[in-house]
Amino acid sequence: MIKKVYRSVQYASVILLLFAMLPAVAQQKVVTGKITDASNQGIPGVNVFKKGTTIGTTTDSDGSFSIEASPSDVLQISFIGYKTQEITVGNQTSFNVKMDEDVATLEEVVITSPYGDMRRSDLVTAQTSISGKDIERTVNTTIEQAIQGRSAGVYVTQNTGAPGGGISVNIRGINSINGTNEPLYVIDGVQVQGSTSASGSNPLSSINPADILSMEVLQGPSATAIYGSRATNGVVEIRTKRGKTGDIKVSYGLKYSIQTAPKGIDVMNLRQYAQMENEFKAIAGGEVREDFLDPSILGEGTDWQQELFNSAAMQNHQISLSGGTEKTSFYLSGERMIQDGVALGSGFKRTSARLNLDIKPRDWFSLGSTMNFAQTNEMLGSNNLNGNNLIVNAIQMGPQIPVKNLDGTYGGGNPENNAEQFAPPNPIGLAELSTNELVRQRLLAGLNASFKIIDGLEFRTAFNTDIGFSHSLYFLPTYDFGWQENSNAYLENNDNMNVYWNWNQQIQYMKQFGKHHITVSAIHEAQESEWKHLMGSRSGFLTNDVLDLNAGDVNTAGNSGGQNQWAMESYLGRLLYNFDDRYLVTAAFRADGSSNFGPENRWGYFPSVAASWRVSRESFFNVEAISDLRLRYETGLTGAQGNGGAIYGTFAPAIPTEWGSGFRPANYPNPGFAWEETLTHNAGITLGLFNSRIQLDADYYIKKTENLILQSELPWFMGTRGDAAVGAPVVNIGSLENRGWGFTINTVNINQNGFKWESNLNMSGFKTKITSLTTGSSHLTREGPDWFLANFAQRTQIGYAPWLFYGYKEEGIFQTREEVESSARPVDNNGNLRPVGEDNIWVGDVKYKDISGPEGIPDGKITADDRTFLGNPYPKWFGGFTNNFSYKGFDLSILMTFSYGNQVYNYVRYQNNNPNNINLGRNMFIEALDYAKVATDEVGEPYLLNPETTVNRISSSSVNGNYDRLTDKYLEDGSYLRVKNISLNYNIPGAILSKLKIVKGMRVGLSAQNVLTFTKYTGYDPEIGSYVGPNAGAAQGFVGVDYGRYPLTPVYTFNLGVDF
Amino acid sequence: MKNINKAIVAIAVSALLAGCSDDFLNRPPQDSLVDANFFKTDEQVLAGTAPLYSSVWKTYVDKANFKLGDIRGGTVFRAWGDRDAVEFNITDVSEANEQAYQAFFVIIGQSNLAIYNINTYAGAEVSEAVKRHAIAEARFMRATAYTHLVMNYGPVPIIENNLEHLNNPNLVRNTVESVWEFIKRDYEFAAANLMETSPLAGRINKWSAEGMLARTHLTLAGLGAGPGSRDQEHLNKAKEYAERVITQSGKSLATDYSSLFLYPYDNNNESLFELQWVFATSPNSYEASNTMISQITYTNDIAANGDGWGGDLSATWWLLSKYDGLVSPAVPYKNQITNPGDSILEGARPGFTIDERLKASFMLPGFTYPEIINNATNQAHVFPNPGTGDNNFASIKKYVIGRIPGETDRQRYPNNSYMLRLSEMYLIYAEASLGNQDYTKDGQALDHYNAVHTRAGLPELIADDPNGPDSLAWDMIFEERMKEFAMESMAWYDLVRLHYYNPEKAYGIINAQDRGLFVARPNQWPNPTSWTFVKTSWFTNRNATASSGNFLLPLPSSEVSQAPSLSEPPVDYDFND
Repeated sequence: MIKKVYRSVQYASVILLLFAMLPAVAQQKVVTGKITDASNQGIPGVNVFKKGTTIGTTTDSDGSFSIEASPSDVLQISFIGYKTQEITVGNQTSFNVKMDEDVATLEEVVITSPYGDMRRSDLVTAQTSISGKDIERTVNTTIEQAIQGRSAGVYVTQNTGAPGGGISVNIRGINSINGTNEPLYVIDGVQVQGSTSASGSNPLSSINPADILSMEVLQGPSATAIYGSRATNGVVEIRTKRGKTGDIKVSYGLKYSIQTAPKGIDVMNLRQYAQMENEFKAIAGGEVREDFLDPSILGEGTDWQQELFNSAAMQNHQISLSGGTEKTSFYLSGERMIQDGVALGSGFKRTSARLNLDIKPRDWFSLGSTMNFAQTNEMLGSNNLNGNNLIVNAIQMGPQIPVKNLDGTYGGGNPENNAEQFAPPNPIGLAELSTNELVRQRLLAGLNASFKIIDGLEFRTAFNTDIGFSHSLYFLPTYDFGWQENSNAYLENNDNMNVYWNWNQQIQYMKQFGKHHITVSAIHEAQESEWKHLMGSRSGFLTNDVLDLNAGDVNTAGNSGGQNQWAMESYLGRLLYNFDDRYLVTAAFRADGSSNFGPENRWGYFPSVAASWRVSRESFFNVEAISDLRLRYETGLTGAQGNGGAIYGTFAPAIPTEWGSGFRPANYPNPGFAWEETLTHNAGITLGLFNSRIQLDADYYIKKTENLILQSELPWFMGTRGDAAVGAPVVNIGSLENRGWGFTINTVNINQNGFKWESNLNMSGFKTKITSLTTGSSHLTREGPDWFLANFAQRTQIGYAPWLFYGYKEEGIFQTREEVESSARPVDNNGNLRPVGEDNIWVGDVKYKDISGPEGIPDGKITADDRTFLGNPYPKWFGGFTNNFSYKGFDLSILMTFSYGNQVYNYVRYQNNNPNNINLGRNMFIEALDYAKVATDEVGEPYLLNPETTVNRISSSSVNGNYDRLTDKYLEDGSYLRVKNISLNYNIPGAILSKLKIVKGMRVGLSAQNVLTFTKYTGYDPEIGSYVGPNAGAAQGFVGVDYGRYPLTPVYTFNLGVDF
Repeated sequence: MKNINKAIVAIAVSALLAGCSDDFLNRPPQDSLVDANFFKTDEQVLAGTAPLYSSVWKTYVDKANFKLGDIRGGTVFRAWGDRDAVEFNITDVSEANEQAYQAFFVIIGQSNLAIYNINTYAGAEVSEAVKRHAIAEARFMRATAYTHLVMNYGPVPIIENNLEHLNNPNLVRNTVESVWEFIKRDYEFAAANLMETSPLAGRINKWSAEGMLARTHLTLAGLGAGPGSRDQEHLNKAKEYAERVITQSGKSLATDYSSLFLYPYDNNNESLFELQWVFATSPNSYEASNTMISQITYTNDIAANGDGWGGDLSATWWLLSKYDGLVSPAVPYKNQITNPGDSILEGARPGFTIDERLKASFMLPGFTYPEIINNATNQAHVFPNPGTGDNNFASIKKYVIGRIPGETDRQRYPNNSYMLRLSEMYLIYAEASLGNQDYTKDGQALDHYNAVHTRAGLPELIADDPNGPDSLAWDMIFEERMKEFAMESMAWYDLVRLHYYNPEKAYGIINAQDRGLFVARPNQWPNPTSWTFVKTSWFTNRNATASSGNFLLPLPSSEVSQAPSLSEPPVDYDFND
C-alpha cells in the first residue's frame, strides 16, 4: 500500500516545497551527503533544498547528493512518506541523514481527479495505482500494455500483437454483453472511451508511456459512479508528469529492442504435400502431377511462415525537461519511437511532444495546462490487405509455390491447374507491393483554473479537448501471381476528423472541524464530440509508383462521407466525511443526460455510497502484528449509453441503382432505448501486517446489470442477415449478474544489508451469468459470416456466462460400419437418418455426440438440437506476480502473468485441417496428413488404416457436414503462465559519474519480454483478445477465437537513461 | 478581494446551475436519412423501392441462385467446388442453403419496411398512383421471395410486418398452401395496382405481375394434385394470364436469342422483370453490382479483374445431350438412321446442333465470341482446345460479358439478371394448354411453343408431321425450358413444380442426369464444326440421388437453433378475411 500511495503523491512534494523558500546567501561550499532509510539503504529522489529558496537538488540512485551551500543555510530534506528534516549546514561538509517514515503524511496525500481532490486516507474504494516506474519496466508501445499483470481485477489481452495494436482491457469481468467491455480512460481530464478497433489499431497509441506519472484503476462503485454513465466498465485515470519546483532536470532515455519471429505452426512440407495430393488423386481420380510422381525426391518447399515473419527492431528516444519555481513549473518532453513488425507489412512509429505547465499568479488563483501532440504512423498490412489476413495466407500457401519464380516474379497458383484458383494470393507479394498505412495526429489539451474564495472553498473550472485527424492510404497495386491476379490498381484515402471537448465547473468545500473532516462538492459538466469522415478512391492506375488519387482513372472515382456527434450533460454532487480517520463515508449522486436517448429516457441517475471503518485506529484494537486494518463497503449505480442513433430508423447510404440513388432502411429503430444500469456491491478489507511489511487488499463484489444494451440478434427470418439486411435494433436486452473477487498482496520479503526483495501478487476471478433476456427467446447467438468465420458461433443464454462457444461435440471418427449404423447421424428432410454408405455417412466421417432432441433428450439424430456449449472464452482466474530485487545500484524485476481456465477456439486449425483442401491447392496443418484413410478388408468391410486419427476422410461432398459443423475438436485450453518481463537495471554510482561533469545520473538496463510461455495451446500464442482483422465490426465482437491473430513474440531490449 | 470573491461565486453558481439548452442533447443522425423524413415526394417514394430490384437480392444472386437453380436442377455442374449441390447433398449447414434463406427474408423484410414506411410517412405531395405502385412493387418482390422460399423449403413463416415481430422470435411456419395463397394475393394486388406501363424503364408493371400470376397458377395447378390430375381451373388461369401478357403487354420476343445476352441487353422488349444491377465504384457498390459474373466466369483471361472464379463450372452432359444432335445418343431415337459399325457409346460420334441457344449459353472448344475480348491476346475470345486431356468444361457463357473498360471491375458487373421473360409466357401457355393430357396438337399451343423453338433456329413442330414428333408432350416443353432458361436459375424450380404432382417423375429425371466430367473434343482446329463427347473414365461420381428425404432444403441449422419454434408443425395462416 505504501508503494501505491506515494506514487500518486508526488504532487504533495510540490506543496511541501513551496514552504521551503528563502533568499540565497553567499559563501558557498560544496556539501555532500547520503540519505538513508531505516535499513540504511540510500533513498534516491529525495529533495534537498536550502530552506526558503528554490535552490536544491535530489539524491541520486544510491541516495547521495551534493549541493553548494553556506554555513548559515538550513537544508530541508523531504521525501514523500518520510518526515521532513532540517539540518543547519554549519561547518560540516558531509552529512549522513537517516529519514523516518511518516505515516501521517501518507494520509495527507491528495489524489486529484477531474471531479475534485481527495485525501488518500479518505479513499474508501477499490482502486489500484500503477506507477510510472512500473510502466517503465515493461516495453510498452502503448499505455494499456502497462496495466497487464499489475492490478487485481483487470484482465488484459492483446487483440493483436501488431505494433501499436489494440488491447482488450476488462475491469472486473463482463458487465455489458455488447462486445465492448472496455473501460473509460481519463487522460488528464480528457475522457476517452476505450474501444476495440476493427482495424486492430489502438485509439490510445498516441500517448507516450514515458510521460505517465501514474495510472489509477478505479474499480469500486463509489469511485466509478462519479463518472456515472460512462463508468460501468471501470475507469483508468491517467496522470502525466508535471514539473516540480527546483532545478531543471534534463533526462534522456533510449530503448533499443529486438523482437523475434514466432515459432511457426507445423504445416506440410513439399514432400508431404505431394504425397497427400497423390493420395487424393488416387481416391477422387485425376492425373498425378508429373513433378509429384516421386515425393521422396522433393525438398522442403517454401516455408511461407518463415518468409513472412522476421526479427525486427524497435527503438525509442525520449527527452524530458522539468522544473520550476514557486510560481511556475513545467514538464516538457519529446519522443520518437520506431517499431518494425515481425510480420511483413506491419510497423509503428510515433512522434510526440508534451508540455504541462502550472502557474500560480496569485494566492487565490492558479492555472494549469496540459498539451500533448502526437503523430503515429502505422502499417496495417499484415492485418488486412484486400480482405486477406497474411498470416492465414502464409499457413494456407502451398509449399510447391515459390515466393518468387525464376524470372523474379512472385509465385502463385498455376493458371493451368483449376484447383489452384482457390489458393490464396502470395502473402509476401501482397505485403511487399501493397500499402496500408494509417497516420494519425492527435492533440490532447486542457486548461484549468482554480480560485480560492475563502479558506476551504474553491471554485474550479476545466476545459479539455481531444482533437484528432487521421489519414489512411490503402493501395492495392496490379499484380500477377499466376491464378491470383489484380489487373486494376486501386487506391483509397480515408480522412477522419474528430473533436471532443468537455467543460466542467465545480465548487468544493473542504474543512476540518475537530475530528470531523468534510469535503463537499458540486459539479456541472458538458461534453460534446463530433466526427467527420471523407473517403475517396480511384482505380485504373497506370503505375504503381505514385500513390495519389490524381494518378488514377477519373472515371473510376468513388467517394463517401459520414459524420455524427453526441453530447452529454451531467450534474454531480459529492460528500466525503471522515471522523477521526476511523469512520469514513463517501456519497455521490450524478445525473447524466445523453443524446443517445429519446426525450423520455434521456436522463439517468447514478447514486453511490461507501463507508469504511479503520479498525486499527480504534483504542480497543491492540494487536501488535497488525499495523493497519480497514473494512470497506461500497455500493453504487453506474451506467452505459451504447452508441448513438439507436432511436432512429436510419437509412443506408445512397445505393446506386438504375434510376439514380436508392434508399433502404439500415436498421430497425428502437425509440424506447434506455440506459443500461449496473448496481454494484463491494466489500473489501485492507490489512497491514508487521509494520506494513505485508500488505493485503482483498475485495469481493456483486454487480447486477439491468437493461443490457445490445444489438439484438434476431432470427434470420427478420431479414437481419446478408447483404442489404435490416440491422437488428439496439435494445435493452436483459440482465446479468457478475460476481468476482480480487486480492493483492505486497510484501517486503527481505530488507537488510542493502538487499531488498519485494513481491506483489495479484489474483482475481469473476463469474458472469445472464439472468434474464427480454427478447422472448432464452438465448442469443452470434455467428461468423460465411466469408471469414464460417460456422463459428458464440451463444448467450439465461443461466450461463455470456458468449460461450457454441457447436457440436465430437466423439472421434467412425471406425466400422457397425459403429456408423448404430450411431446417431444427421437426418434427411423427412427426419430419417441419413443412410450408411460411401456417398453418405461412412467410416472415416466425424461422429457427433447425440446430446439432445426436440424433446430435450438424445433422439439418435444429429440435428440443430445437438449443438451445445463448448467452452468459455473468459478465464476462471488470472493475475500477475512481480518480484523486485535491489542491491546497491542493481534492480532486477520479474513479472509473470497468468490466466487459467479460458478457452480458445483455434479457428485457423479448424479451417486448415480439412483434408479436402488439398484439392483447392491449399496447404494444411500437418495433422491433416493423417486424415482418416479408409480401406476395405477381404470381406469387403471398410476399416481405417489409421484408427487413431482425429481428422475425417477425404470426400468430395459431406452429407455428414464434416467441415460445416463447428465442433469442440479445435477448442483448446488457453490457460497460460507467461514470464512477461525480466528487467535488470543498474544505476551507475555517483562516484563514477562525478567524473563526467555534465551527467548527474545514469541507468543502463537489459530486459526481455514475453520470454517464456507455458501453455497447452497449439497456436502461435494463447493470449487471444477480441477478434480484429478483415471485416471485424464492433458489433460482432467475437472473443477468444484465433483467426490467425498476430502473435506476441519475445522482445529483448537494451535501455539507457541519462540525467543531466 | 471580497468583490472578486463575490464575482467568482456568482460566476460559479450561475455556471453550475445554468446547464445547457434542450437542443444540446438532441442529436439526430447527420449523415443518413431517417425514415420519418423521407417518402415526401414521388421521387423519394420510388427511390425507396429501387433497392428492391438489386441489393436485397444480392446474397441469393451472387452464388446461391445458380447453385440451387442450375446445379441442383442438373443443367450445370461443378467439378471441384459446390459438390453438395452437384451431389444433391445440401444440408442444414451448407453455405448455399444459408445464403438463399437469408436473402429471401431480407427481400421480405425490406419489402415490408417499404410498405410500412410508405403507408406511415408518405406525404400529401405523393400521388396516389405512385404510392399504390410502390406498395405493389414491394408486394410483388415479397411474393417473389416467398415463391423461392416455399419452393426450396416448403412451409415457412409468413411475415407481413416485421416491426410487429421484433420482440417475438417465436414464429411458426405456415403451410405450403397458405404460403401460396399469400403469394397469389400479393401478385393479384400487384397486378391491380402496378402501373400499366413502367414509370421508369426497368420498373415492373402490371404485366410483370400478370406474368408471375401465370407462373403461379401453373404451379398451383399441381399443388396437392397427383400425376395426371393437375387442377384445371388453375391451368385455365395460367393460360389466360399468359395469353393476356403475350397479346396485351406490348412486349415481344427478341428475334435473335443470342441478342438477349449481348451486353447491353438490359430491359429489352422481351423482358418482364429483371434485377437491375449497375456498375458503380462507390463503397457500397458491391450490393448494387452484379457479382455473379465473377463467380461464373471461367478464366481470368476474360474476367474484369482477376475474378474468373468459375473455372470448374460447366453445362452437364445431361443438358448438352438435350441440344438436338449435339451428343450422339447411345440408343438411336425413333426415325434416326444408324450406320452399320457405328459405336453405340453415347456421345462417341461427332455431334453438332443448330440450336443457337447452346453457343449463347455455354462455350465449346472453338466457339468464338467477338463481344468478349481475351485479356491475354486482345482478340475475340476463342474457347480453348482441350488437346489430349481427358476432361474439359462447357463453361458458362450466358451472362458472361467479359471485361469492358470503365464498365466492369472485380465483382462489379453492370448487366441485369432476368427474372421473367416473355418467352416463358409462350411455354407456360403451351404447358397449361397441354394440361393433364399426354400430348396436344392444339394449334395455339403449338404456335406458342414454336415461337420459342424456332427462334432458337430449330425446325417448326407441325401437328401430325410424319417425319418427326407429331405433337407436343410435356417432356418436350420441359426440355425446351431447360435449354431456353439454362443458367437463369429456372431448372430447379421447374422440377419443384413437377414434384408437386408427380414426385417420382421428378426424382427419375434428377437421378438419370449425368453430372460428371467429360471431354468435348473438336473435330478440327481452328473452326471446329462438330464435337465428340467422351465421359472421363476416372470420374465416378456421376449421378445424384434425389428422394423425398433430400428433395427440399432443410431449414438452416443456425436458424432452427435460434428459433426453435420453426420446428413446430406448420399451421394455416390467418388471412383475416
